[in-house]
Amino acid sequence: MIQIFHVAKRFGSNIALDDINLKFQKGEFVFITGPSGAGKTTLLRLVFGAERPTEGQILINGINLNRINKSRLDPLRRKIGFIFQDFKLLLRKTVSQNVAIALEVNGERPSVIRKKTRQVLRAVGLANKEHAYPLQLSGGEQQRIAIARAIINDPLILLADEPTGNLDPEITREILLLFRTINLKGTTVVIATHSKELLKDTDQRVILLNKGRIIS
Amino acid sequence: MKLRIWIYYFKNAILNILSNRWVHFISIGTISISLLLFGAFILFFVNVNNWMVEWGQSLSMSVYLKDGIEQDEREEIASIIKGLPGAEITAYISKKQAEADLIAALGEQAGLLEGITSNPLPASYEIAFKNVKNDQADPQDIKVLLEQLEGVDEVQYSEQWLERFEDLLYILKLGGLIVAGLFSVAVLFIITNTIKLTIYSRREEIEIFKLVGATDWFVKMPFLIEGAIQGILSGFIALIVLFLVYSLFSLKTVHIFGLPVMDVVFLPYNYVVLLFLFSLLLGLTGSFIAVGRFFRVLS
Repeated sequence: MIQIFHVAKRFGSNIALDDINLKFQKGEFVFITGPSGAGKTTLLRLVFGAERPTEGQILINGINLNRINKSRLDPLRRKIGFIFQDFKLLLRKTVSQNVAIALEVNGERPSVIRKKTRQVLRAVGLANKEHAYPLQLSGGEQQRIAIARAIINDPLILLADEPTGNLDPEITREILLLFRTINLKGTTVVIATHSKELLKDTDQRVILLNKGRIIS
Repeated sequence: MKLRIWIYYFKNAILNILSNRWVHFISIGTISISLLLFGAFILFFVNVNNWMVEWGQSLSMSVYLKDGIEQDEREEIASIIKGLPGAEITAYISKKQAEADLIAALGEQAGLLEGITSNPLPASYEIAFKNVKNDQADPQDIKVLLEQLEGVDEVQYSEQWLERFEDLLYILKLGGLIVAGLFSVAVLFIITNTIKLTIYSRREEIEIFKLVGATDWFVKMPFLIEGAIQGILSGFIALIVLFLVYSLFSLKTVHIFGLPVMDVVFLPYNYVVLLFLFSLLLGLTGSFIAVGRFFRVLS
């Protein structure tokens, strides 16, 4: 599903990632962890195609991101759900409008958009909040909106950058459960986190990064 | 492309305009004034041009006869004149009639002529050339031809005026092009900046659209439509105001330099369509520039 070969990413003289080699199978659940500045976010952004590697190759479902043109990157992104650390919600839009954006860019019918939005909001436990605005909701609920938006297109890959960064342990467990449910449906889930709560007792694959290199 | 996508684009463009209504109101107002001035110039130009064409096609000429000309000589001149293409003798003014006309024209100051014992004014034929194009009859050639005739003293026609107006018209055309160019740049500048403001106010939304896989065109199209709407609305307002001002003053006849009067007409249909298309094009180009710049920054 995701193949990373000798990838390096430098921002000027600053080395964010160095000689990264990874393979993620379809349906795998992977944690990427490490201290701040280890390169977790950069790695996710490279997989998402938001950045290009300075060296090396990244293949998503056999498609080389180095060679992909813009017109093919946009449809590929619709198959990759990304959950941002700061949620990236539109505060002037309601919960359902925020979630529906991911379907609108696909040119879906309004009836399909309404139906799928309700389904996904039910799945993340926000069925009764569809007309609320993000700022009227708690941090955990806002995170659920971001998750709902990321999974509404049934993505092949779900990338989450510190998805429980500001949430308390109980909500963190709920969010983790939600990711597990999504993963059980066949979506490859990659979570970048430094949360001990998320990694506690996990039997999933954990990749440890430090100073841009894979430690284990 | 699917109809619902276009509905989506238009809906978003209208929402953009409504959510930034004051910026758009000022922008559309300013563009309308620019287009109104541009339209007024075209209206003026079209009318002057019409008048020139009409006047050129109904050329008038005065053929002054020598004193003491014989009746048969005069008739021969008249028959030659009638043989010219499109020529019609509108009047024969005898020496006596010319004197009477002058006295009538001078009115109370006719006393000035009292000291003159003999009548110095020549008899003349007044000729009008109707629906004659320049290539069919050159006034200068006709003048030379008639002046060669026995009994003809001098021929005068409105050549000098035509030439002056042709020069004036050329200057107007040139000035008009410069003014139109400046207006276009100003309008483009206004539209580009208005669209940039609306793009800026929606930059977070655009970023999220791109992150969930929206194509560039999907994001750009509502802004392009927004620019087009601005252009169309401004063009429409400018034309309506121009027509209202035209109707209000309704100066159906105008004197220019005391020369023959002309009818004032509104812009012909094709000019209206052209002005409309021009404003649409300006709107689209302005938003295209704004969107292009923004996406270069984004990428």
